[in-house]
Amino acid sequence: MPLPLVWLIKVVLIYGGLITVAAAMSLAERKVSAWIQWRVGPNRVGPWGLLQPVADGVKFIFKEELVPEGANQTLFRLAPILSAVPPMLAVAVIPFAGEVSIGGHVTTLSIADLDISTLYVVAIGGLGIYGVILGGWSSNSKYSLLGGLRASAQMVSYELSLLLSILVVVVLSGTLDLRQIVNDQAGPIFAWNIFALPVGPIAFLLFVIATFAETNRHPFDFAECEPELVGGFHTEYSSMKFALFFLGEYCAMTVMACLTTVFFLGGGNIPWWPDAPWLLELTCFLSKMGFFLFLFLWVRWTLPRFRFDQLMALGWKVMLPIAIANVFVTGALLSLGWFA
Amino acid sequence: MADTLFYILAAGTLACGMGVVTARMPLFSVLSLLGSLFCLSAIYLLSGFQFLAATQLLVYAGAIMVLFLFVIMLLNLGDEAELQGHLGFSLSGKKGLIAGATALSLGLVGVVGAGYSTPFVANPAYERGVDDLNALATVLFSRYALPFEAASLLLLATMIGVITLAKRQRTTDAGAHPQSAPPSTDGETAA
Repeated sequence: MPLPLVWLIKVVLIYGGLITVAAAMSLAERKVSAWIQWRVGPNRVGPWGLLQPVADGVKFIFKEELVPEGANQTLFRLAPILSAVPPMLAVAVIPFAGEVSIGGHVTTLSIADLDISTLYVVAIGGLGIYGVILGGWSSNSKYSLLGGLRASAQMVSYELSLLLSILVVVVLSGTLDLRQIVNDQAGPIFAWNIFALPVGPIAFLLFVIATFAETNRHPFDFAECEPELVGGFHTEYSSMKFALFFLGEYCAMTVMACLTTVFFLGGGNIPWWPDAPWLLELTCFLSKMGFFLFLFLWVRWTLPRFRFDQLMALGWKVMLPIAIANVFVTGALLSLGWFA
Repeated sequence: MADTLFYILAAGTLACGMGVVTARMPLFSVLSLLGSLFCLSAIYLLSGFQFLAATQLLVYAGAIMVLFLFVIMLLNLGDEAELQGHLGFSLSGKKGLIAGATALSLGLVGVVGAGYSTPFVANPAYERGVDDLNALATVLFSRYALPFEAASLLLLATMIGVITLAKRQRTTDAGAHPQSAPPSTDGETAA
Protein backbone atom coordinates (compact mmCIF):
# COMPACT_ATOMS: atom_id res chain seq x y z
CA MET A 1 0.00 0.00 0.00
CA PRO A 2 1.51 3.37 -1.00
CA LEU A 3 2.36 5.80 1.78
CA PRO A 4 -0.02 8.62 0.69
CA LEU A 5 -2.89 6.14 0.99
CA VAL A 6 -1.86 5.38 4.57
CA TRP A 7 -1.93 9.10 5.32
CA LEU A 8 -5.31 9.41 3.67
CA ILE A 9 -6.70 6.57 5.80
CA LYS A 10 -5.43 8.23 8.97
CA VAL A 11 -6.85 11.63 8.00
CA VAL A 12 -10.25 10.15 7.12
CA LEU A 13 -10.33 8.06 10.30
CA ILE A 14 -9.38 10.88 12.65
CA TYR A 15 -11.52 13.59 11.04
CA GLY A 16 -14.44 11.22 10.58
CA GLY A 17 -14.09 10.38 14.25
CA LEU A 18 -13.99 14.05 15.23
CA ILE A 19 -17.14 14.92 13.29
CA THR A 20 -18.88 11.85 14.70
CA VAL A 21 -17.93 12.86 18.23
CA ALA A 22 -19.20 16.40 17.58
CA ALA A 23 -22.52 15.05 16.28
CA ALA A 24 -22.79 12.64 19.18
CA MET A 25 -22.10 15.49 21.58
CA SER A 26 -25.06 17.46 20.22
CA LEU A 27 -27.26 14.50 21.17
CA ALA A 28 -25.43 13.79 24.42
CA GLU A 29 -25.89 17.39 25.51
CA ARG A 30 -29.67 16.97 25.38
CA LYS A 31 -29.69 13.42 26.68
CA VAL A 32 -27.47 14.24 29.67
CA SER A 33 -29.42 17.39 30.46
CA ALA A 34 -32.64 15.37 30.35
CA TRP A 35 -31.11 12.71 32.55
CA ILE A 36 -29.91 15.25 35.11
CA GLN A 37 -33.26 17.05 35.11
CA TRP A 38 -35.25 13.81 35.34
CA ARG A 39 -36.68 14.05 31.82
CA VAL A 40 -36.57 11.66 28.85
CA GLY A 41 -34.88 13.86 26.25
CA PRO A 42 -35.03 13.32 22.47
CA ASN A 43 -36.50 9.86 21.82
CA ARG A 44 -38.56 10.20 18.61
CA VAL A 45 -35.97 9.91 15.84
CA GLY A 46 -34.50 6.43 15.73
CA PRO A 47 -34.02 4.11 18.68
CA TRP A 48 -33.26 6.08 21.88
CA GLY A 49 -33.19 9.24 19.75
CA LEU A 50 -29.92 8.18 18.17
CA LEU A 51 -30.73 9.64 14.75
CA GLN A 52 -31.50 13.08 16.21
CA PRO A 53 -28.19 14.63 14.99
CA VAL A 54 -29.03 13.50 11.42
CA ALA A 55 -32.49 15.03 11.67
CA ASP A 56 -30.93 18.24 13.02
CA GLY A 57 -28.47 18.34 10.13
CA VAL A 58 -31.24 17.97 7.56
CA LYS A 59 -33.25 20.67 9.31
CA PHE A 60 -30.27 23.05 9.39
CA ILE A 61 -29.65 22.60 5.66
CA PHE A 62 -33.25 23.35 4.72
CA LYS A 63 -33.71 26.34 7.02
CA GLU A 64 -33.79 29.83 5.55
CA GLU A 65 -30.51 31.69 5.79
CA LEU A 66 -30.97 35.15 7.22
CA VAL A 67 -28.36 37.89 7.06
CA PRO A 68 -29.31 41.03 9.02
CA GLU A 69 -29.56 44.17 6.92
CA GLY A 70 -26.95 46.20 8.78
CA ALA A 71 -24.53 43.30 9.08
CA ASN A 72 -21.08 43.29 7.57
CA GLN A 73 -21.66 40.78 4.79
CA THR A 74 -18.12 39.42 4.41
CA LEU A 75 -17.31 38.98 8.07
CA PHE A 76 -20.79 37.68 8.87
CA ARG A 77 -20.24 34.82 6.42
CA LEU A 78 -16.60 34.30 7.36
CA ALA A 79 -17.11 34.09 11.14
CA PRO A 80 -18.70 30.60 11.38
CA ILE A 81 -15.90 29.19 9.21
CA LEU A 82 -13.26 30.84 11.38
CA SER A 83 -14.93 29.31 14.40
CA ALA A 84 -15.06 25.74 13.06
CA VAL A 85 -11.75 25.34 11.23
CA PRO A 86 -9.09 26.02 13.93
CA PRO A 87 -10.18 23.28 16.36
CA MET A 88 -10.30 20.84 13.44
CA LEU A 89 -6.74 21.77 12.49
CA ALA A 90 -5.60 21.44 16.09
CA VAL A 91 -6.71 17.82 16.31
CA ALA A 92 -4.07 16.87 13.72
CA VAL A 93 -1.27 16.53 16.27
CA ILE A 94 -3.13 14.68 19.04
CA PRO A 95 -1.37 11.33 19.63
CA PHE A 96 -4.33 8.95 19.97
CA ALA A 97 -2.29 5.77 20.24
CA GLY A 98 1.23 4.45 19.73
CA GLU A 99 2.47 2.57 16.69
CA VAL A 100 -0.07 1.07 14.32
CA SER A 101 0.48 -1.09 11.27
CA ILE A 102 -1.66 0.05 8.30
CA GLY A 103 -1.19 -1.97 5.10
CA GLY A 104 2.37 -2.97 6.02
CA HIS A 105 3.46 0.52 7.11
CA VAL A 106 4.24 1.01 10.77
CA THR A 107 3.02 4.48 11.65
CA THR A 108 1.79 6.43 14.66
CA LEU A 109 -1.91 7.10 15.16
CA SER A 110 -1.82 10.85 14.73
CA ILE A 111 -1.93 12.86 11.53
CA ALA A 112 1.31 14.74 12.21
CA ASP A 113 4.09 14.36 14.75
CA LEU A 114 5.68 17.76 15.34
CA ASP A 115 8.53 18.63 17.70
CA ILE A 116 6.50 21.57 18.93
CA SER A 117 3.04 20.02 18.82
CA THR A 118 2.13 21.54 22.20
CA LEU A 119 2.72 25.04 20.87
CA TYR A 120 0.98 24.19 17.60
CA VAL A 121 -2.18 22.93 19.23
CA VAL A 122 -2.44 25.92 21.59
CA ALA A 123 -1.59 28.46 18.88
CA ILE A 124 -4.02 27.07 16.29
CA GLY A 125 -6.73 26.14 18.77
CA GLY A 126 -6.66 29.64 20.22
CA LEU A 127 -7.61 31.16 16.88
CA GLY A 128 -11.14 29.76 17.12
CA ILE A 129 -12.07 32.76 19.26
CA TYR A 130 -11.91 35.02 16.18
CA GLY A 131 -15.04 33.36 14.85
CA VAL A 132 -16.93 34.26 18.01
CA ILE A 133 -15.59 37.82 18.16
CA LEU A 134 -16.14 38.61 14.49
CA GLY A 135 -19.53 36.91 14.48
CA GLY A 136 -20.55 39.09 17.39
CA TRP A 137 -19.22 42.25 15.82
CA SER A 138 -20.45 41.76 12.25
CA SER A 139 -24.05 40.96 13.25
CA ASN A 140 -24.70 44.63 14.01
CA SER A 141 -26.75 43.75 17.05
CA LYS A 142 -26.06 44.93 20.57
CA TYR A 143 -26.53 41.49 22.07
CA SER A 144 -24.10 39.94 19.61
CA LEU A 145 -21.57 42.72 20.15
CA LEU A 146 -21.70 42.25 23.92
CA GLY A 147 -21.26 38.51 23.45
CA GLY A 148 -18.22 38.98 21.24
CA LEU A 149 -16.78 41.56 23.63
CA ARG A 150 -17.14 39.23 26.58
CA ALA A 151 -15.62 36.34 24.62
CA SER A 152 -12.49 38.33 23.77
CA ALA A 153 -11.97 39.57 27.35
CA GLN A 154 -12.51 36.10 28.73
CA MET A 155 -10.18 34.53 26.20
CA VAL A 156 -7.30 36.90 26.98
CA SER A 157 -7.77 36.39 30.72
CA TYR A 158 -7.85 32.61 30.79
CA GLU A 159 -5.31 31.92 28.04
CA LEU A 160 -2.59 32.90 30.54
CA SER A 161 -3.62 30.38 33.19
CA LEU A 162 -4.05 27.73 30.51
CA LEU A 163 -0.55 28.28 29.13
CA LEU A 164 1.06 28.43 32.57
CA SER A 165 -0.52 25.14 33.61
CA ILE A 166 0.70 23.57 30.36
CA LEU A 167 4.13 25.00 31.13
CA VAL A 168 4.27 22.90 34.31
CA VAL A 169 3.76 19.75 32.23
CA VAL A 170 6.33 20.90 29.67
CA VAL A 171 8.87 21.56 32.43
CA LEU A 172 8.19 18.15 33.99
CA SER A 173 8.57 16.30 30.69
CA GLY A 174 11.26 18.54 29.24
CA THR A 175 9.70 18.51 25.78
CA LEU A 176 7.07 20.25 23.66
CA ASP A 177 6.23 17.08 21.73
CA LEU A 178 2.82 15.71 22.75
CA ARG A 179 3.85 12.13 21.90
CA GLN A 180 6.96 12.50 24.04
CA ILE A 181 4.84 13.85 26.90
CA VAL A 182 2.60 10.77 26.63
CA ASN A 183 5.56 8.38 26.50
CA ASP A 184 6.98 10.10 29.56
CA GLN A 185 3.93 9.07 31.57
CA ALA A 186 4.14 5.35 30.75
CA GLY A 187 4.49 2.82 33.56
CA PRO A 188 2.70 2.91 36.93
CA ILE A 189 -0.27 5.21 37.39
CA PHE A 190 1.91 7.52 39.52
CA ALA A 191 3.84 8.43 36.38
CA TRP A 192 0.83 10.44 35.20
CA ASN A 193 1.42 14.14 35.50
CA ILE A 194 -1.68 14.61 37.65
CA PHE A 195 0.13 12.60 40.33
CA ALA A 196 3.36 14.63 40.09
CA LEU A 197 2.95 15.92 43.64
CA PRO A 198 2.65 18.67 44.72
CA VAL A 199 2.35 20.67 41.49
CA GLY A 200 0.56 18.18 39.22
CA PRO A 201 -2.94 18.28 40.77
CA ILE A 202 -2.88 22.09 40.98
CA ALA A 203 -1.88 22.41 37.32
CA PHE A 204 -4.56 19.87 36.39
CA LEU A 205 -7.26 21.80 38.21
CA LEU A 206 -6.18 25.13 36.69
CA PHE A 207 -6.06 23.57 33.23
CA VAL A 208 -9.53 22.07 33.47
CA ILE A 209 -11.06 25.33 34.74
CA ALA A 210 -9.28 27.26 31.98
CA THR A 211 -10.55 24.85 29.31
CA PHE A 212 -14.12 25.59 30.36
CA ALA A 213 -13.45 29.31 29.94
CA GLU A 214 -11.55 28.85 26.66
CA THR A 215 -14.34 26.86 25.05
CA ASN A 216 -16.98 29.31 26.32
CA ARG A 217 -18.72 26.55 28.19
CA HIS A 218 -20.84 26.76 31.28
CA PRO A 219 -20.25 28.13 33.98
CA PHE A 220 -18.26 30.61 31.86
CA ASP A 221 -20.52 30.80 28.78
CA PHE A 222 -20.78 34.59 28.84
CA ALA A 223 -20.49 34.85 25.08
CA GLU A 224 -23.93 33.24 24.80
CA CYS A 225 -25.52 33.76 28.20
CA GLU A 226 -29.15 33.22 27.16
CA PRO A 227 -30.86 35.02 30.06
CA GLU A 228 -28.90 38.24 29.47
CA LEU A 229 -27.97 38.34 25.78
CA VAL A 230 -30.72 36.35 23.98
CA GLY A 231 -28.21 34.13 22.18
CA GLY A 232 -25.04 36.17 22.57
CA PHE A 233 -22.68 36.17 19.61
CA HIS A 234 -24.90 33.88 17.52
CA THR A 235 -28.18 35.74 18.09
CA GLU A 236 -28.48 36.70 14.42
CA TYR A 237 -27.30 33.40 12.96
CA SER A 238 -29.54 30.74 11.48
CA SER A 239 -29.36 27.50 9.48
CA MET A 240 -25.95 25.98 8.65
CA LYS A 241 -24.01 29.03 9.85
CA PHE A 242 -25.47 28.53 13.31
CA ALA A 243 -24.65 24.82 13.07
CA LEU A 244 -21.03 25.62 12.18
CA PHE A 245 -20.62 27.61 15.41
CA PHE A 246 -21.80 24.59 17.33
CA LEU A 247 -19.60 22.24 15.33
CA GLY A 248 -16.69 24.51 16.23
CA GLU A 249 -17.64 24.53 19.90
CA TYR A 250 -17.95 20.75 20.10
CA CYS A 251 -14.69 20.24 18.20
CA ALA A 252 -12.94 22.67 20.54
CA MET A 253 -14.32 20.76 23.52
CA THR A 254 -13.06 17.49 22.01
CA VAL A 255 -9.60 18.97 21.46
CA MET A 256 -9.51 20.26 25.04
CA ALA A 257 -10.64 16.88 26.40
CA CYS A 258 -7.86 15.22 24.33
CA LEU A 259 -5.31 17.71 25.67
CA THR A 260 -6.34 17.14 29.29
CA THR A 261 -5.90 13.41 28.69
CA VAL A 262 -2.51 13.87 27.04
CA PHE A 263 -1.09 16.37 29.52
CA PHE A 264 -2.29 14.94 32.81
CA LEU A 265 -3.73 11.43 32.41
CA GLY A 266 -0.98 9.78 30.38
CA GLY A 267 -2.75 9.82 27.00
CA GLY A 268 -3.42 6.27 25.84
CA ASN A 269 -1.18 4.71 28.48
CA ILE A 270 -2.68 1.87 30.51
CA PRO A 271 -1.15 1.89 34.02
CA TRP A 272 1.44 -0.84 34.65
CA TRP A 273 1.09 -2.08 31.05
CA PRO A 274 3.52 0.04 29.01
CA ASP A 275 3.32 -1.91 25.74
CA ALA A 276 -0.36 -2.66 25.43
CA PRO A 277 -1.77 -3.32 21.92
CA TRP A 278 -2.73 -0.14 20.07
CA LEU A 279 -6.44 -0.90 20.00
CA LEU A 280 -6.53 -1.06 23.80
CA GLU A 281 -4.47 2.14 23.99
CA LEU A 282 -6.91 3.87 21.65
CA THR A 283 -9.88 2.65 23.71
CA CYS A 284 -8.18 3.85 26.86
CA PHE A 285 -7.53 7.26 25.29
CA LEU A 286 -11.09 7.58 24.04
CA SER A 287 -12.61 6.63 27.38
CA LYS A 288 -10.50 9.22 29.22
CA MET A 289 -11.47 11.77 26.56
CA GLY A 290 -15.11 10.71 26.89
CA PHE A 291 -15.01 11.31 30.62
CA PHE A 292 -13.84 14.90 30.14
CA LEU A 293 -16.47 15.49 27.45
CA PHE A 294 -19.05 14.21 29.92
CA LEU A 295 -17.59 16.53 32.56
CA PHE A 296 -18.35 19.51 30.26
CA LEU A 297 -22.01 18.45 30.15
CA TRP A 298 -22.19 17.47 33.80
CA VAL A 299 -20.91 20.88 34.92
CA ARG A 300 -23.18 22.71 32.50
CA TRP A 301 -26.35 21.19 33.88
CA THR A 302 -25.26 21.27 37.53
CA LEU A 303 -23.55 24.57 38.32
CA PRO A 304 -25.06 28.07 38.09
CA ARG A 305 -23.41 30.64 35.84
CA PHE A 306 -20.82 33.05 37.27
CA ARG A 307 -21.25 36.81 37.14
CA PHE A 308 -18.92 38.51 34.64
CA ASP A 309 -16.93 40.42 37.28
CA GLN A 310 -16.58 37.18 39.24
CA LEU A 311 -15.16 35.56 36.12
CA MET A 312 -12.57 38.30 35.73
CA ALA A 313 -11.70 38.24 39.44
CA LEU A 314 -11.27 34.47 39.35
CA GLY A 315 -9.09 34.63 36.25
CA TRP A 316 -6.78 37.47 37.23
CA LYS A 317 -6.74 37.46 41.04
CA VAL A 318 -6.96 33.77 41.85
CA MET A 319 -5.95 31.54 38.96
CA LEU A 320 -3.12 33.60 37.50
CA PRO A 321 -1.14 34.06 40.77
CA ILE A 322 -1.58 30.38 41.64
CA ALA A 323 -0.48 29.37 38.13
CA ILE A 324 2.64 31.56 38.26
CA ALA A 325 3.56 30.30 41.75
CA ASN A 326 2.99 26.75 40.53
CA VAL A 327 5.48 27.21 37.68
CA PHE A 328 8.08 28.62 40.09
CA VAL A 329 7.61 25.75 42.53
CA THR A 330 7.91 23.24 39.69
CA GLY A 331 11.16 24.79 38.52
CA ALA A 332 12.57 24.91 42.05
CA LEU A 333 11.61 21.31 42.85
CA LEU A 334 12.96 20.11 39.51
CA SER A 335 16.34 21.74 40.11
CA LEU A 336 16.41 20.18 43.62
CA GLY A 337 15.89 16.74 42.06
CA TRP A 338 12.43 16.18 43.58
CA PHE A 339 10.97 14.48 40.48
CA ALA A 340 13.93 12.16 39.86
CA MET B 1 8.53 25.38 -5.12
CA ALA B 2 9.81 26.88 -1.87
CA ASP B 3 10.87 30.03 -3.74
CA THR B 4 7.46 30.45 -5.36
CA LEU B 5 5.74 29.93 -2.03
CA PHE B 6 8.05 32.47 -0.44
CA TYR B 7 7.22 35.12 -3.03
CA ILE B 8 3.49 34.46 -2.70
CA LEU B 9 3.71 34.73 1.09
CA ALA B 10 5.93 37.80 0.94
CA ALA B 11 3.45 39.49 -1.40
CA GLY B 12 0.67 38.50 0.98
CA THR B 13 2.56 39.97 3.94
CA LEU B 14 3.09 43.25 2.13
CA ALA B 15 -0.46 43.44 0.80
CA CYS B 16 -1.90 42.84 4.25
CA GLY B 17 0.55 45.36 5.69
CA MET B 18 -0.74 47.92 3.20
CA GLY B 19 -4.25 46.97 4.25
CA VAL B 20 -3.43 47.87 7.87
CA VAL B 21 -2.74 51.51 7.01
CA THR B 22 -5.27 51.96 4.20
CA ALA B 23 -8.35 50.31 5.74
CA ARG B 24 -11.12 52.74 6.64
CA MET B 25 -12.40 50.73 9.57
CA PRO B 26 -10.10 49.97 12.51
CA LEU B 27 -11.44 46.42 12.66
CA PHE B 28 -10.25 45.74 9.13
CA SER B 29 -6.83 47.14 10.04
CA VAL B 30 -6.58 44.59 12.81
CA LEU B 31 -7.69 41.79 10.50
CA SER B 32 -5.14 42.86 7.89
CA LEU B 33 -2.44 42.83 10.55
CA LEU B 34 -3.59 39.34 11.47
CA GLY B 35 -3.24 38.25 7.84
CA SER B 36 0.20 39.82 7.67
CA LEU B 37 1.29 37.97 10.83
CA PHE B 38 -0.03 34.72 9.37
CA CYS B 39 1.96 35.10 6.16
CA LEU B 40 5.06 36.02 8.14
CA SER B 41 4.61 32.97 10.32
CA ALA B 42 4.29 30.80 7.21
CA ILE B 43 7.56 32.29 5.93
CA TYR B 44 9.24 31.32 9.22
CA LEU B 45 7.85 27.82 8.78
CA LEU B 46 9.20 27.72 5.24
CA SER B 47 12.67 28.63 6.51
CA GLY B 48 12.52 25.84 9.10
CA PHE B 49 11.87 27.96 12.16
CA GLN B 50 8.93 25.96 13.50
CA PHE B 51 9.25 27.29 17.03
CA LEU B 52 9.34 30.91 15.92
CA ALA B 53 6.32 30.37 13.66
CA ALA B 54 4.23 28.79 16.42
CA THR B 55 5.26 31.42 18.96
CA GLN B 56 4.38 34.17 16.50
CA LEU B 57 0.88 32.75 16.10
CA LEU B 58 0.46 32.06 19.80
CA VAL B 59 1.58 35.44 21.08
CA TYR B 60 0.48 37.84 18.37
CA ALA B 61 -2.49 36.20 16.68
CA GLY B 62 -3.73 34.37 19.76
CA ALA B 63 -3.41 37.04 22.42
CA ILE B 64 -2.37 40.52 21.31
CA MET B 65 -4.70 40.79 18.33
CA VAL B 66 -7.61 39.58 20.46
CA LEU B 67 -6.80 42.40 22.86
CA PHE B 68 -6.79 44.91 19.98
CA LEU B 69 -10.16 43.62 18.81
CA PHE B 70 -11.46 43.90 22.36
CA VAL B 71 -10.48 47.56 22.58
CA ILE B 72 -11.94 48.37 19.17
CA MET B 73 -15.20 46.65 20.02
CA LEU B 74 -15.32 48.21 23.49
CA LEU B 75 -15.07 51.70 22.00
CA ASN B 76 -17.27 50.48 19.12
CA LEU B 77 -15.14 52.34 16.60
CA GLY B 78 -16.93 52.56 13.30
CA ASP B 79 -14.59 54.48 11.04
CA GLU B 80 -11.77 56.98 11.13
CA ALA B 81 -13.94 59.94 12.11
CA GLU B 82 -14.93 58.26 15.35
CA LEU B 83 -11.34 57.28 15.97
CA GLN B 84 -10.37 60.95 15.77
CA GLY B 85 -13.03 61.81 18.28
CA HIS B 86 -11.74 59.19 20.68
CA LEU B 87 -8.03 59.80 20.34
CA GLY B 88 -8.03 63.52 19.60
CA PHE B 89 -5.64 63.22 16.69
CA SER B 90 -5.55 61.77 13.21
CA LEU B 91 -2.81 59.93 11.37
CA SER B 92 -4.14 60.70 7.91
CA GLY B 93 -2.62 62.85 5.19
CA LYS B 94 0.70 64.54 5.74
CA LYS B 95 1.23 63.24 9.26
CA GLY B 96 0.65 59.67 8.05
CA LEU B 97 3.14 60.20 5.24
CA ILE B 98 5.78 61.49 7.66
CA ALA B 99 5.16 58.63 10.11
CA GLY B 100 5.30 56.08 7.29
CA ALA B 101 8.48 57.55 5.83
CA THR B 102 10.13 57.58 9.27
CA ALA B 103 9.16 53.95 9.92
CA LEU B 104 10.38 52.94 6.45
CA SER B 105 13.74 54.67 6.82
CA LEU B 106 14.22 53.21 10.30
CA GLY B 107 13.45 49.76 8.88
CA LEU B 108 15.92 50.31 6.02
CA VAL B 109 18.61 51.42 8.48
CA GLY B 110 17.96 48.24 10.47
CA VAL B 111 18.14 45.98 7.43
CA VAL B 112 21.27 47.63 6.05
CA GLY B 113 22.89 47.61 9.48
CA ALA B 114 22.12 43.93 9.91
CA GLY B 115 23.49 43.28 6.44
CA TYR B 116 26.80 44.98 7.28
CA SER B 117 27.24 43.38 10.66
CA THR B 118 26.47 39.80 9.67
CA PRO B 119 27.47 38.41 6.28
CA PHE B 120 24.60 36.91 4.29
CA VAL B 121 25.89 33.33 4.24
CA ALA B 122 23.92 30.38 5.46
CA ASN B 123 25.16 29.39 8.88
CA PRO B 124 25.68 25.61 8.73
CA ALA B 125 24.45 25.17 12.29
CA TYR B 126 21.19 26.94 11.48
CA GLU B 127 20.66 25.40 8.09
CA ARG B 128 17.49 23.62 9.21
CA GLY B 129 16.49 26.47 11.49
CA VAL B 130 17.04 26.97 15.20
CA ASP B 131 14.63 24.25 16.11
CA ASP B 132 16.76 22.72 18.82
CA LEU B 133 14.90 24.26 21.74
CA ASN B 134 17.60 23.34 24.25
CA ALA B 135 20.21 25.22 22.22
CA LEU B 136 17.84 28.15 21.77
CA ALA B 137 17.09 28.30 25.50
CA THR B 138 20.76 27.98 26.43
CA VAL B 139 21.74 30.84 24.13
CA LEU B 140 18.80 32.97 25.24
CA PHE B 141 19.48 32.55 28.95
CA SER B 142 23.29 32.73 28.87
CA ARG B 143 24.75 34.80 26.06
CA TYR B 144 21.69 36.96 25.48
CA ALA B 145 20.44 36.96 29.08
CA LEU B 146 21.12 40.68 29.53
CA PRO B 147 19.29 41.93 26.39
CA PHE B 148 16.47 39.48 27.15
CA GLU B 149 16.03 40.80 30.68
CA ALA B 150 16.41 44.39 29.46
CA ALA B 151 13.59 43.86 26.97
CA SER B 152 11.30 42.47 29.66
CA LEU B 153 12.22 45.37 31.94
CA LEU B 154 11.33 47.77 29.13
CA LEU B 155 7.93 46.11 28.77
CA LEU B 156 7.37 46.33 32.51
CA ALA B 157 8.31 50.02 32.49
CA THR B 158 5.89 50.61 29.60
CA MET B 159 3.12 48.85 31.47
CA ILE B 160 3.68 50.90 34.63
CA GLY B 161 3.85 54.07 32.55
CA VAL B 162 0.58 53.33 30.82
CA ILE B 163 -1.16 52.53 34.09
CA THR B 164 0.16 55.77 35.63
CA LEU B 165 -1.05 57.81 32.66
CA ALA B 166 -4.45 56.15 32.62
CA LYS B 167 -4.90 56.63 36.36
CA ARG B 168 -3.93 60.30 36.21
CA GLN B 169 -6.42 60.88 33.40
CA ARG B 170 -9.18 59.30 35.41
CA THR B 171 -8.45 61.36 38.53
CA THR B 172 -8.49 64.62 36.53
CA ASP B 173 -11.69 63.53 34.81
CA ALA B 174 -13.32 62.86 38.12
CA GLY B 175 -12.05 66.20 39.42
CA ALA B 176 -13.43 68.08 36.42
CA HIS B 177 -16.87 66.54 36.77
CA PRO B 178 -17.43 66.08 40.47
CA GLN B 179 -20.16 63.52 40.94
CA SER B 180 -22.20 63.58 44.05
CA ALA B 181 -23.15 60.19 45.35
CA PRO B 182 -26.81 59.44 44.63
CA PRO B 183 -28.86 59.56 47.80
CA SER B 184 -29.51 56.13 49.15
CA THR B 185 -33.13 55.17 48.88
CA ASP B 186 -32.69 51.71 50.31
CA GLY B 187 -33.50 52.80 53.83
CA GLU B 188 -36.64 54.63 52.71
CA THR B 189 -38.05 51.76 50.72
CA ALA B 190 -37.24 49.39 53.52
CA ALA B 191 -38.99 51.69 55.93
